[in-house]
Amino acid sequence: MAFFLAYDPSTNPLNSNEWAFPVCEVMHIIGFATLIGTITMVDLRLLGVGMKKESAADLVRDTAPWTLFGLALVLISGPLIFSSDPNLYLANISFRFKITCLVLAIIYNYTIHRKVALSQTSGGLAAVVAVISLALWASVVFGGIFIAFV
Amino acid sequence: MPPEFVQWLQNAGLATAIRESAIVYPVILSLHLTGMALFGGMILMTDLRLLGIAMTKRPVSEVVEGLRPWKHLGLTLVVTCGFLLAWSKIAIYYPNPFFRLKLGLLTLVTIHALVFRRSVYRNTRELDRSPVIPGRAKLAAALSLVLWIGLVSAGRWIGYWEPKAAAPPTTAQVN
Repeated sequence: MAFFLAYDPSTNPLNSNEWAFPVCEVMHIIGFATLIGTITMVDLRLLGVGMKKESAADLVRDTAPWTLFGLALVLISGPLIFSSDPNLYLANISFRFKITCLVLAIIYNYTIHRKVALSQTSGGLAAVVAVISLALWASVVFGGIFIAFV
Repeated sequence: MPPEFVQWLQNAGLATAIRESAIVYPVILSLHLTGMALFGGMILMTDLRLLGIAMTKRPVSEVVEGLRPWKHLGLTLVVTCGFLLAWSKIAIYYPNPFFRLKLGLLTLVTIHALVFRRSVYRNTRELDRSPVIPGRAKLAAALSLVLWIGLVSAGRWIGYWEPKAAAPPTTAQVN
């Protein structure tokens, strides 16, 4: 925390270059669309409503590199955006909510979600796992947007 | 559009309600972005499949047709929310060059869909039989990626443009 208090955001190129900030935001949007879109595909399969020609296990394997690619994009662009004004973000309740949901969503995705999808589980359990996944990722998006409105 | 008409549009009851609510505007904006998360990632996977980069173990038809209804649902959500957001502040957005660019790109996306519909997106059985993905399908996918990334960028840049302040009246005009 002390590190952030001593840091002067005006020295950050993101705050002096007209293009840097929106470029990071576009990268962030493309990143989360890739990340969440590919996870949603698995969720729809777990719910038994979409991509039914492919098993959930195959779908996880096929989309995994792209999920990771999307995650890499958000984990590069996100901290850059954060660096533009760390104190503002840290004090923002919506930002805190978002980061909490994000950490939970990432852990959930690579543990329970992945395990259930790979184990060919179907029915009620698979549906519950999918709904929790969708709810977590939607919460991350909502939390992110509300940073600008709280 | 004449400025009076644009202002009149924005003054409509629903538009005013959205604009002035502390909660409704950000909720619609969040849904707009949530739709992009669902829909955008699926467009990307469709395009990358056509380009032979992603999900190559699966037939083209399985990826394109499996994702189609969900892309339609996502598109409906994104467009509905986008329309409401634009309407609620149309007098502010209408002069914005990035807003106009976004509308132009939306028109191009529609033309793209019409142009490639028969030969690519509704022709997936043929694409499955083809030993290599035809150039036309790859062209459709590449153009789709460029157009959608352009749309997202134009959308984001809307927020960074400000109208030039009206020039202060000169003495000659005042007198």
